[in-house]
Amino acid sequence: MWAALRSQSCSRFSSSSSLQLLQQWKLGFPSFNHTLSSPPPPSSSSSSAISENLGLLELPEVEKILSDVRADNVKVIPAKKHNDWADFMVIATGRSTWHVKQKQKGAKRLVLPSVEGQEGGKWIVIDSGKVVIHALDEKAREYYNLEDLWTSETSEKEPIQDLEKALVKIRRKNNSKKPAQKRA
Amino acid sequence: MIQPQTHLNVADNSGARKLMCIRIIGASNRRYAHIGDVIVAVIKEAIPNTPLERSEVIRAVIVRTCKELKRDNGMIIRYDDNAAVVIDQEGNPKGTRIFGAIARELRQLNFTKIVSLAPEVL
Repeated sequence: MWAALRSQSCSRFSSSSSLQLLQQWKLGFPSFNHTLSSPPPPSSSSSSAISENLGLLELPEVEKILSDVRADNVKVIPAKKHNDWADFMVIATGRSTWHVKQKQKGAKRLVLPSVEGQEGGKWIVIDSGKVVIHALDEKAREYYNLEDLWTSETSEKEPIQDLEKALVKIRRKNNSKKPAQKRA
Repeated sequence: MIQPQTHLNVADNSGARKLMCIRIIGASNRRYAHIGDVIVAVIKEAIPNTPLERSEVIRAVIVRTCKELKRDNGMIIRYDDNAAVVIDQEGNPKGTRIFGAIARELRQLNFTKIVSLAPEVL
């Protein structure tokens, strides 16, 4: 599954540019912190922004690849309201651990932005910026029950709002009795 | 600043309740662990009738520290407790849910699984 995804993005650009791209993505990441869910940071030049778009996988593409490798039970969850660090969660089940991982030896690593859990083959996460792909085997999928987590939980709006207030520095109110306008 | 003998809370539903750090993984003579570091810990307290038991040795990722975490943009994050998430050798979390807020830095450190289970990412 993940091998197919990798080869797809591998075919699109040479390995040297991909390494550079990875660097950019990792470096550019902290600046996303305040400009959440907004276009790429303004500090990066136009050319790098273009390559960033090229490197990260798009949602329809991911769906197509997953259907190509016959992943079962593919589910796309728009997770924007649940968390702000990713727009879409894609979950897919492989038939076996081998199917989940399907390694290609000789192919270069580090082509995709970030791949995790590749050795075990129980749960592989491909973190491609705004789209996060989870490939699990059946047991792990049942165990972690990710769909439930991202679809049902909506009651946590309030504490998040409180937290936002807590993090923002508010200028103190001027309670003094003196006239406020000096100029007038 | 987690060092051997530090007691930590557990931020997931794995069944452990209190951990004690016994080793920091990564370098031979490292003194302190921070958010996103893997430690070896012993379970000091566990919920009864769960797979994890007291005095078991496990691995855990630190997710919250009292010592502040600085970001490049000047933001400082500091929690009220030291907390960790129990993982196995492959980096999969033992529990299925994670409690409390978690810092965004864990995603860059390749703990996307933990971040995606967390209810809130700072």
